[in-house]
Amino acid sequence: MLVDSRTADRLTGMVLLMLGIAMLAGGYTMDRLEIRQIHPASIPGLVPMGLGLAMIICSVLLLVSTASTTDTSLPEDSAVSEDSEKTQPGSFKNLALTIVLCLAYAGGLLGKMPFAVATGIFIFMFSAVFSWPEKSVPVRARIKPLLLIALFAVVFAVGISTLFQYGFLVRLP
Amino acid sequence: MHALQSLAEALISLCTPMSLLHVAWATLLGIFVGSLPGLTATMGVALLTTLTYTLDKDTAILVLICMYVGAIYGGSRSAILLNIPGTPASAATALDGFPLAQRGEAANAMALATAGSALGTLVGIVMLVLLAPPLAEVALNFGSFEFFWLALFGIVISGQLTGGGSPLKGYIAGLLGLMVAMIGSEGIHAHVRFNLGLRDLNGGVALIPAMVGAFGFAEVLTVMWRPKGELLDTKKSATSALPRMLDLWRYKFTIVRSGIIGTIVGIIPGVGEDIGAWSSYAVAKKLSKHPELYGKGSTEGLTAAETGNSAVVPGALIPALTLAVPGSAPAAVLIAALFIHGIRPGPMIMIEQPDFIYSIAAMLVLATLAIAVFGLSLTRLFIKILKVPRELLMPVVFTLCVIGPYALTQRVFDIWVMLFFGLIGFVLRRMDYPMAPLVLGIILGTLLDKSLRRGLTLSNGDLSPFFTRPISASFAAIIFLSIVLSIPAVRRALFRIIPGLPGPVKPSVTEEQS
Repeated sequence: MLVDSRTADRLTGMVLLMLGIAMLAGGYTMDRLEIRQIHPASIPGLVPMGLGLAMIICSVLLLVSTASTTDTSLPEDSAVSEDSEKTQPGSFKNLALTIVLCLAYAGGLLGKMPFAVATGIFIFMFSAVFSWPEKSVPVRARIKPLLLIALFAVVFAVGISTLFQYGFLVRLP
Repeated sequence: MHALQSLAEALISLCTPMSLLHVAWATLLGIFVGSLPGLTATMGVALLTTLTYTLDKDTAILVLICMYVGAIYGGSRSAILLNIPGTPASAATALDGFPLAQRGEAANAMALATAGSALGTLVGIVMLVLLAPPLAEVALNFGSFEFFWLALFGIVISGQLTGGGSPLKGYIAGLLGLMVAMIGSEGIHAHVRFNLGLRDLNGGVALIPAMVGAFGFAEVLTVMWRPKGELLDTKKSATSALPRMLDLWRYKFTIVRSGIIGTIVGIIPGVGEDIGAWSSYAVAKKLSKHPELYGKGSTEGLTAAETGNSAVVPGALIPALTLAVPGSAPAAVLIAALFIHGIRPGPMIMIEQPDFIYSIAAMLVLATLAIAVFGLSLTRLFIKILKVPRELLMPVVFTLCVIGPYALTQRVFDIWVMLFFGLIGFVLRRMDYPMAPLVLGIILGTLLDKSLRRGLTLSNGDLSPFFTRPISASFAAIIFLSIVLSIPAVRRALFRIIPGLPGPVKPSVTEEQS
C-alpha cells in the first residue's frame, strides 16, 4: 500500500462517489435523440446512468466499510495472507525514478528524435540509473559496467527499431 | 469420436517444420516471460500480439497460444527457485516448491511441476474438445436478454472471485471497466459518449493499449518498486531431471481432480489461473493423507497447484471461443488478438469455422509437448534466465509497451492511453483492486450496453423477458445469489447455520494478472 488501507479506501471511496455522480448526471443529461424518433429504452445514456448508480452504491458501501473497520491494514474478513507482497515495503525512490524516466521517454523523447536514438537513450539511462554503483567503487570500476549497458542499449534500440520498421512496416514515432 | 478424429486431423495439419519451429520459439519465449518475476502471461500475450500483425492468422494464434501455455508454466521456475511466483498463477506452487528447493530437491520439484503442468493442460484440452461444441450450440439460442446477463455474470463472478477478501473491490474494478467501455461511439445509434472533448476518444478506448498499460507498464512499476529477490544456490540441485514416475502414479487422482477443477475454474469468466491453482491446492490438501506436509515441501501440493493452474488455460478458452467471454485475463487478450486477425469468436464459431476449436486444441497439445520437452531438458538455462537483472529487462519491456500499442493504430494517443492505464493500474493494484474484472468490464461493456438496450427495444420497454426466459432467469438467479452471498453478514449467518460450508478460496498474493 502507498498509504494505510483505511485512508486509501476512504479517499478512493470519495473519488469513486464523485465519479458515480458524474456518470449518473452525464447519462441523464445525454442527448435522448428524440429527433431521430428512437425508442426511449435505447437511449445512449441508459447504461451510463445505471453504472453511475451502481458506482454510487459501491462507493458508499466502501466508505461505510472503512468507517466500521477497526483494522488499519486489511479488511475485516480479508483472506490476504501476511506474506502478501502488498505488505512488503517498496521503494518510493525507485518508483518515482521509474515514472519520471518512463514519462520522459514516452512524452519527451519520442517524436523529438529518431525512435532508435530515443530508445537507446532511454534504455541506457534507465539501466545506468538503477545499476549505478556505490560511491566506494573506484571510478575505473564504474566505466566497464556503463560501457556494457551502453552496448546493451544500442543493441536493443537498433533491434526493436529494425524489427518494427522493417519487419512490421510500422512508421515509427 | 468425431471430436477426437477432428483433433487428430488438426494435429497432423499443424505438424509442419515451420509450425513446429513457431511452437518451439514461442513456447520457449513464453517460459522465459513466465519465469521472470514481473513479466506475466497476460503481458506476454499482449506484447506478442503486437508482434503478430504480419503473420498469417493461424501462425499468429499458434504463437500466442504457445506463449500463454509457456508463460503459465514458466512461473513455476521462479516460484521454486526464488520463492517469487513468476506469474501470480504460480503463487501456490511457491508454497511447496521453495521448501523443496531449500532441501536440495529443486530438480525434482521442477520436474514434478513440468509433469503436472503438462498433464493438467491435457486434461483441460480433453474438456475443451468435449465441452466447447455443445456449449456453442447452447449459446446459439442466446438472444439480447441472455447476452446482457452473460456479460453481467462475467463481471460479477470475476469481481467476486478475484476480489479476495473484499468482493466489493472486485465489483468496483468491474464497474470501472464498464465505465471505460462507455467512452466513444456507442453501438446502436453511433452517438458519441464521454469523449471529454477529445476527438481521439470518439472511437473509444482501445483494448490493447489499455491492457498493455494495466498489465505491462503497471508491472514495470511494480517490479521496480518491489525489493529484489535472492536466487537460491542451485548448483547442486538444479540439474536436468525426469519426474519420478512413482510420484506421478501416486498422485494420479490428484492430477485428474486438479485438472478438472482447473478447467472448471477456467470456464468461469475472468477468474484465471491463480484461482485455479489455489482451488486445486485447497481441495488436494483437504483430501490428502498428509495435509500437515502442505506448505513445508509437499510434492503432492506442488503437483496439485501446477496441474490446476495449467488446466485453466484450455478451460479459459472454452467461453472465450464459444461465447467471446474470456475465462482469464490472458484469454481476454487472446480474444482481442482473434478479432485483429479476422476471427470472430462467439456462438457462430462452430458454424462459420467448425474446425477452429480443434485447431486450437491441437495448438495446445503442441505447446504442452513443448513445455514438457523444454521443462525437463533446459533446467540450467532457466536458472540463467532468472539471473537477468531487472534493471536491464524493464526498460526493454517498457519500450515494447510503448511501441506495441502504437504499432496497431500508429496513433501517439494510444501511447498516452497506455501510460494512463499503467499508472491507474499500479495505484489500484496497490490498493488491492483486482485487474481482471476491470479488463473484463472493458471487453464486455459494449455487449452489456447493446444487449440491454436492444432487449428493451424488442420487448417495448418491458423488463419481464429478462427474468422469465429460462436461461436469463438462471443467470439472474446466480448473479443475485452471488451478490447476496458476498455480503459478509449473510455469509457469517450462513456459516453459523451450515458449519461445513466451504470458506472462500484463498486469493493469490498478486492476483492482478496472470
